[in-house]
Parts: sequence; C-alpha cells; structure tokens
Amino acid sequence: MAGSTIDHLVSVIVFLGAILLFISLFNQTLQTAILYQRHRNLASKCSDLLDNMLLNPGIPTNWGTSNCTPTGFGLQDPEFTQYKLSPFSLMRLRSSIGEPVYYPGTKTYYSNITMGFGDYLLVSFTQLIDYSTAAKLLGINNTYGFQLTITPVITVSITETHSGNPLTLTITVTGKGFPLSNAIVSYCFLTVVEKGGQSSPSYSSSFDTSYTDEKGSVTLNFQNIDATKSYAFIAYAHLSGLVGVGYHQRVTADKRYIIPFVESFEDRRVILAHSYDVHNFGPPESAVFFNATFVLLTEDFTLREMPMENSIGKIGKVNYGKGVKFEYCPVTIPTYNPGILVITYQSNNEYGVILMPWGINSMAFPIVFGDNPFGKEWVATDIRQVIVSGIAYQAQLALWSLEGYQVIS
Amino acid sequence: MMRTIEIFLVIIIITGAFIISSFFAVLPQPRQVSPLNLRRLAFTTLQTLDVDYDLSETVFKLPNDLSWDELQIALSACLPPNIVYNLTVYEVLSGGTKLYCPIRSISNAESLGIGSDVSSYLVASSNVTFSVIPEKIGEHGGGGTLYILNCSDANGWWITGYTAQSLAEDLYNLLSPYFRATIMVQNTTQLGKILNGTALQGENLQSAVIINTVGEAVPIPAGYYASSGVGYDTGHSSYARYCYVLGQKVRQYNWTWVSIVGYPLYYVSNTGLFQNEQNGWGIYGMRQVGPAGLNAFLRGIDNQGYSFNDQWITGSPDNDPQLSSVSLSAEAKYYCNYYGIYPSRYQTATRALPDSILTTYNLTVTSYIFNKVNNWIAGAVYRHIAVGDNKITGSLFALGLTRTADIRLTALGLLCDYKPRLYRSEYTANGTSRLVVLQLGLVGGV
Repeated sequence: MAGSTIDHLVSVIVFLGAILLFISLFNQTLQTAILYQRHRNLASKCSDLLDNMLLNPGIPTNWGTSNCTPTGFGLQDPEFTQYKLSPFSLMRLRSSIGEPVYYPGTKTYYSNITMGFGDYLLVSFTQLIDYSTAAKLLGINNTYGFQLTITPVITVSITETHSGNPLTLTITVTGKGFPLSNAIVSYCFLTVVEKGGQSSPSYSSSFDTSYTDEKGSVTLNFQNIDATKSYAFIAYAHLSGLVGVGYHQRVTADKRYIIPFVESFEDRRVILAHSYDVHNFGPPESAVFFNATFVLLTEDFTLREMPMENSIGKIGKVNYGKGVKFEYCPVTIPTYNPGILVITYQSNNEYGVILMPWGINSMAFPIVFGDNPFGKEWVATDIRQVIVSGIAYQAQLALWSLEGYQVIS
Repeated sequence: MMRTIEIFLVIIIITGAFIISSFFAVLPQPRQVSPLNLRRLAFTTLQTLDVDYDLSETVFKLPNDLSWDELQIALSACLPPNIVYNLTVYEVLSGGTKLYCPIRSISNAESLGIGSDVSSYLVASSNVTFSVIPEKIGEHGGGGTLYILNCSDANGWWITGYTAQSLAEDLYNLLSPYFRATIMVQNTTQLGKILNGTALQGENLQSAVIINTVGEAVPIPAGYYASSGVGYDTGHSSYARYCYVLGQKVRQYNWTWVSIVGYPLYYVSNTGLFQNEQNGWGIYGMRQVGPAGLNAFLRGIDNQGYSFNDQWITGSPDNDPQLSSVSLSAEAKYYCNYYGIYPSRYQTATRALPDSILTTYNLTVTSYIFNKVNNWIAGAVYRHIAVGDNKITGSLFALGLTRTADIRLTALGLLCDYKPRLYRSEYTANGTSRLVVLQLGLVGGV
C-alpha cells in the first residue's frame, strides 16, 4: 500500500514537472515566432513609411516654401515625381543633432545644422516641423518612433595641405563604399577682397574643373594666395549621375563674424546678426561690416551671382547688442532656386567669409530628424537613394515600436 | 513503480512531439526577419544613376567604352559596402522568340549571398522618336471646328507687345492638332460670312469654337452687322447691339466664344469702318462700347430681349489690383502636365466676372481655369443651358486677366474643357531600348 502511494506521488510530481517544462519550451518557441512576425511587420512598416515620406509632397504641396504647418507630411519635390525631394521641405525639418541656438535679438531658438566654422544653417523654430508633428501627420504618434537620416552619397572633403603661396588644397571624393575615381571636380574659389576698415569687403571668384585620380583625390594649387588671405572654396564632384558637394573656408576673423538666421521661408528672409549676440563671449566687440551675395548653382556646376536689389541689407554693418538692444540686418533671398548665401565680412581689418545654403542640397548638408534609436529594443531600418535638386543623397529610416511586443522577454 | 514508468513513457512521447514540431517550425534567419528592401534600393539606385540620363547614355555605348568603368565606380560608390551587386544590361529585341539579349554585366562579387533582390529599369536611346497623336475634338460628335479671328482689318487692345496676327499664329500652332478643322478668319468680311451661317472652307459651323485674338476689342464687319437696328443702337449711339447679335449667334450655332484677356467685348474694331475714330486711348479703327457690350452679349446668349445696360460688372478679387492674384485650379494644373503647356500658375485678374452671371444668364461653369476668389471668377468656361432645357446652347470662355494676354492660358482652358486624349506612341526600331537589371545582395552577418 505504501509502495503504491509513493509510486503515485513520484509519478504525479514527475508528470507535473515535465508538463511545466514542456509548456515553457513550447511557449518559448511560440514567443520567438511571434517576435519574428512582429519584427517582420516592423520592417514592412519601415519600408512603407519611408516610401510614404519620400513619394508624396505633403499637403499643401508647397509647404516647404511657405510658413504654414502642413496637414500632410511628405518630402517629395512637388515639381517632380519619383524619389526627388524638395530641398526646402528638408530645410524645415527640425534637426535632432545640433544644439539649438538662442538669439536674443528675435527672442527665438533656431534649429542648428553647423558643418564647421562658417557653414551655418540656423532656422527659426517658428518655421520648423518638429518630430511630434511629423509623427502625428504620419499617423504613427505613440505607436512607432522613427529617425529619418538624409545624408549625401558623395563626400567631398577638402583639406588645406599648404597654406602659403601657393595655396594647396587636396580634394578627396568618396562614396558610401568606394572612392570616386576619375570624377569631374568643378570648383569655385572665392577670395575676400579687402577694402580696409569701416567698409564692407567684396569677393572675387574663379572657376575651373579638374579630375580625381584612382584614389578619388585631386590636388589644386592657387597662386598669389598667402597665409593671411581669407577665402572660400566650393567644389562639385560628379560622375555618372552622382553629384556631391564640398566646401572649405579660411578666415582671419573668427571672434567677430556674421551669423545668418533663416527667419521666413515664405518671404525668403534671412537676418544677419553679430556673433557676439549669440555667443556672448569676451568684452564688447567691434562692429562687423558685411557684404551678402546670393549665388545659384547652374547646370554646368558653376555658380552664378543673382542680384538682391530689393534687399535692404545686402551691404551693411551690425553692432553687438548693448543691453537689450540687438542689431541685425535682414536680407531677402531673390529666388526659391537652391543656392548659397555668401557673406564676406570684416571687423578690425580681419576678414572672413560665411556660407549658408538656401536649399539643403546646395552645400550637401545632412539632415537627421526624429527621435534617437539608441537603446530601443528592435529597430528596423530601410534605405533609398534620393535626389535633392540634382545632388545624390541616401535616405535612411530607422523605425521602432512604442507599444512593446506583449511577450515575455 | 508502474505509474512512474508510465510517466516516463509519456515524457518520452512529449519530447518526441516537441522535437518533431521544432523540426517543422523552422524560424527564419534574423536577416530575413527584418530585411532591407533591396528591390526598392536597387530601383532608386538606378534612378539616381539616370538622373541626368548618364545611365541611358552609358548602356548604349560599346562594351569596351570607358563609360562602363565610370558606371561601375559610381555604382560601387553609391551603395553601402555590405551590399554586393550585379548589373546586367539587355538588348530589347522585337520579333522572334528571344526577347532579351544580354549586352554586358558588371558586378563586384562572385555571388550575391544567401538572399538578393532585383529591380529593372528600361531606358531608351536618344535615337528613339516618340510621337503623340491627339484625339480630334468633334471626332466622336458634333463640332470640331476652330475659328481663330485673324482679321487684318481689326486692331487689338490689351494685347500690347503682340499683334493679333502673331497671337493667331501661336494659337494655330498650339490648338490646330486638337481640332478637326482650324480656320483662320482673315478679315471682318469672312467673320460676317460665318455669322451668316456660311462655312468658309466647307467646315462644320455648328458647335465651333471662336477665339477672338484682338483682346478687349471684337472685330465687326461693316455693312449689315454695323447697321442701325442690327449692330448699332442708335438711341445710345453704341455698338452694344452688335455684341447682342454675337450672343444670339453663339446661342444659335452653339458656339464657344473665347475672350483671351481683359473685359470681353469692350470695343468694336474695324479699320475701314472707324477710320477716323479712336477708342479713347489713341488707337484708331476702334470704338468703345464699354461694359454694355458684355451685358448685351450675355442677354443675347440667354435669348433675353436687347436692352442697353452699361453697368460695369467685372472686378478684382482684391480691392488692391496689385494684389489681385489668382492661381490655376487643380484641374488646370493637372492638364498643364498632360498637354505640356506651362503658363505661370499665378496671374493678376482685374476683369474677373462675378458668379452672379451664372444665375442671371443661366450659365453653368464646366471648367474653372482659375480658382474662384471671393465670388469672382477669373477664368472659366461658361455653358448656357436654358431653363427647362438640358442641352447646351452657346458658351463663353472668358479670361478676365490683366494685360498682356498669355495665349497659353487660352489653349490650356480650352483643352481643360474639351479634354482631348493624347495617344502616345513610340517608333521603336531594333536597338533603341535596353533593359537594365540591378540585383543586390547583402554580405556579412546572419
């Protein structure tokens, strides 16, 4: 009797243990399968969402060149079809990476894409579409998080290998996975023409073309440019439909300079402010005299100056802010064609040049828009090759679920 | 002891079931769970390479041309390093059983890994001739005749910078492919003939379109149509009555009268008839009718009795004429692309018609060329449908824009309304089309 009871007890305990073990094993397999399904669904969603962003211009279609908040989110250039994006819609996306800049002159924060000294894109927060608005417009608010990264396919890096006379610049052109050998490099060399104190400097420009070697590099020499001369160099590299942009400046005045802020897309208004008012460093600084010019990129990759006759602030000076009084000059960009605002400046006989893209493509600025995917449980990504006003970019979307996976991890 | 053995037997059975089910429940590799959309990436890569038609040019070059190397460099440069590719170009053959013949293939790896996807892109040689055959208006029904008033004995107003003859020529080039017959009305005598119902070249007079190229003026034939009680209102010393007759003729023959700019029918013009008269602004051969002309025309088209009414009815969508900007309607913008006519999307309108004319004269708008702003219609096709009737009896297409006339808007408006189809065709010859196939694969990882 006792033996039979023990037999029953042992068998029931072993049976229950085995059942629990198998339930756990089967459950794990099922959970993995469900997770895989959800991840696959996320990847499909990512691909669809990326196409949705890139293949429609948004509502209204011209929201990139107006000050309105769109009622439909899309980045396609309304003048084109396929994967061609509007350079101005991209400019209106609030950058996730640069630290916003506060300018007390307008009491406004500005989204900051700065690619080094003198290469600024600062857009007023009042003009920008933020991540939360975009998520709502895309219908994924609180369900998915995303980060859209739009980076140029071609990187044109420029280094100064000899600063004296002759000035020597080495241009290296690389793609995402390969150097761009035998590419045509069309370049523009802008030198600041010094006109003495209390006057605004102008610039002179020269254009030429060259070819990269098998490593994707080319070395250029510029005569009569000594180490004290300020200049800007803009290069367009192109090969078999791929076009990339690079730029480099040298300035002698890096304490007092001009900072351009995009104030209004609809009015094409940019304000030029004294750097002291933004950084507020050191003692009160001297006035900065400037000369603003807008140059367009033509089809043969040369830059053509476009007059800004209607602009009252084309040539002028700005003082640093005294107390609550801030001084800035507005300029009006004459067109919605992408180009570069070139601002030569002088302060205390020190010179420099500032470049600001009008249209994200003209200086191949990258855009990072959205939340940070770091630390998210599972992030699906997808990429597309896109064109932004002739410049090759790669659009990458990272997408993750905000609703969890409702399984035991 | 027996129970314990049985339980172990059950465990063995369940273990077997688990192993067997696990064998069939094969989970995909992680890479396949969350894949890159290689098909789309391949397609967009091909589009990027062809943005300036570089790809189209390269694939038609000889296989040993240097451009192929450049294409390979560009392809390698624009794809991420972990992606391998194979690009193959095929000749598209016509006739025979073989449709595609490989021309050249470039690749950066021997194999494309465990998974790959492919996109194709058809390119045409620059030697290909594309042709477009438009459907003729009137081909499947009545009408189909376009009269362009090219009267050498009439002067124009608000067509500054152009002559009526140059505008007529441009209109002919733009619109004649879409009509069965296009007749240039060379003088006011010929205009008189068609008003009398006489065809000039055996064309179908009924349901024709008449474009008045002299702007705010309208050519008037001397003689009968300028005579008192027919075209001349003796009581008011005005040719508004001629405009009334025009309205009646438009109704009678179901014409579409087109006013290309400004205030319609504001002047009458005949250099012989008004040899010593000017329009008030120094243009001889012309006489002012004023707003009475349009009012009389609208009464004529609606079959109302003639009465002289010189009340100004047109206006600006904005009180400030400088701000009277109107924009092309969505329909017009669509047809800009369809017909390849691209006038400026924004125009200044100071002679827009009020929407009250729709009820006063039984008009129905069939096509808005510009968006309506504050009850003002800057450009539209008005069709007259009499009360109790269901058929159209006469139409007016008025562009109430400020000078100078943009003739493309006239063409666009008519095409928007008639919507003739375009039959696109391609004269293909051997070797004019090639298929580019790009296959992408991922390397590394699992």
